[in-house]
Amino acid sequence: MSELILEAVDLEYSYPDGTSALRKVNLQVRKGEKLAILGSNGAGKSTLFMHFNGIYSPSSGTIKFQGQAISYKKKPLIELRKKVGIVFQDPDSQLFSASVWQDISFGPLNLGLSEEEVTKRVRQALTDTETSELEGKPTHLLSYGQKKRVSIAGVLAMEPEIIIFDEPTAGMDPRHSQEFMLLLDKLSSEGKTIVLSTHDVDLAYSWSDRLAIMYRGEIIAHGLPGDLLTRPEIVKRADLTIPWLIEAHSELVKKGWLPASAPLPKTKDQLFQNIPLKKGQQSA
Amino acid sequence: MIAIDSYAYNNNLKAVHPAEKSLFAMLTMVVCLTSKTTITPLVILAIMSGGIILKAGIPARVLIKLLAIPLSFLLISVLTIAFSLSSDPSGFLLAHRINSLTIGIRYSDLITAVNLFLRSIGAVSCLYFLALTTPLTELITVLHRLKVPFIITELMVLIYRFIFVFLDTATTIRRAQLSRSGYVSMKSSFRSMSRLFSALLGKVFLKSQDLYNTMASRCYTGEIRVHTKKHPVNLKNYGIIIGLEIPLILLNLLWR
Repeated sequence: MSELILEAVDLEYSYPDGTSALRKVNLQVRKGEKLAILGSNGAGKSTLFMHFNGIYSPSSGTIKFQGQAISYKKKPLIELRKKVGIVFQDPDSQLFSASVWQDISFGPLNLGLSEEEVTKRVRQALTDTETSELEGKPTHLLSYGQKKRVSIAGVLAMEPEIIIFDEPTAGMDPRHSQEFMLLLDKLSSEGKTIVLSTHDVDLAYSWSDRLAIMYRGEIIAHGLPGDLLTRPEIVKRADLTIPWLIEAHSELVKKGWLPASAPLPKTKDQLFQNIPLKKGQQSA
Repeated sequence: MIAIDSYAYNNNLKAVHPAEKSLFAMLTMVVCLTSKTTITPLVILAIMSGGIILKAGIPARVLIKLLAIPLSFLLISVLTIAFSLSSDPSGFLLAHRINSLTIGIRYSDLITAVNLFLRSIGAVSCLYFLALTTPLTELITVLHRLKVPFIITELMVLIYRFIFVFLDTATTIRRAQLSRSGYVSMKSSFRSMSRLFSALLGKVFLKSQDLYNTMASRCYTGEIRVHTKKHPVNLKNYGIIIGLEIPLILLNLLWR
């Protein structure tokens, strides 16, 4: 198993008004993995993320980066934030600058890179998020989905080791969310560690290597997506649903179209591949 | 304001270096404001309108509408200068006597008023030229070059961005209120309006906190630094600026 890179240990957090948002959260993120955090609205996903690069400091418990508890002093925090990037859910709160190019350049400039390097990275991030044609546009004239992609570019340009996406596909149209998933695959193949939160069970199931399910500030289960999402008691408790792939698969097994030994499909194509041809039918 | 802003991003002079446009607009404005003749402001108004309509490709009706905005203020102030009240009835071009008082227009005042009016309109046209062709983001980079303190330019960036965020938020809230009959009567309008303001105030705090968090997570250390794309410097444009300003200055000096 690959090394632990980021870890939450017994993390507790209450908002100033006393509502407790995180309760004894333990979560490990391994280098290079694709971790999805599933949970309904208000489960504490965003609050947990704010801890991962030290925006919030926990009421008790610790966050460890590469085995070391993170420090909340100015210098080490900056170092941490270079390595752990967060793409926030609401792009309007992330885009502060009036022009797309300027906003994306903000992060890399804070890293103290040279002009040429910044230009290179901004251009790459624009290409990766398909926003090149927006570079001269002011942020307030963009659509929601465009803002979302620009805010992703703003973090990509910093080239962090771990990228955390808070509800990345919310508000994106189907084509762009598909493109976005491809981008995630690309980043992942480049060795980046990716954590994303969502309440889209189908997306979490198909995409992730590992899954954590949150409910009311607690992690109620974590493990392999195929193990967790086939258990109705967990899924129900977390106000989620079973992914359609798993439902379709088990229905096919129940009705005898698939042997009980058939592997659980991870994608639509795998499911279709599993379904055998009817006797006497010619393959297309 | 929103219209000006969107034209600033979509006009045919957008690619021109912002410093060139600023220099042109500012120099012309100075020439216009220091002018003692009536002809220079008129020429300037023509040049600027030509630049806005023909060069930048902005529709004439937009410019006319924009020029009409300061017109009302201008007319009021010009009228107060043109008219005077006096006990001495001599020297009036147009006069009306009420008992021993004379109210009317003196010739010299009329000239001053017309001059002032033209100078103001000319200067406004210079400002519109700049505002309609140059996005604020680029103007800020020019200010940067001119060594305007960081704190001022940073505030400009944030204020500019947040004007739109708040406009959006306010529009959304108002729309939600309208769709639930929030403005059907005077009473409900007042109530809805007050709630709109208090909701906006609450959002200001939330948004500013969010903004700080998101900036902090991108390694913000108290100084907003952004990268601006370079515009090509065009010497020909400087030539045009000089070629236009010198005759205008000469016109100012020689035309009496």
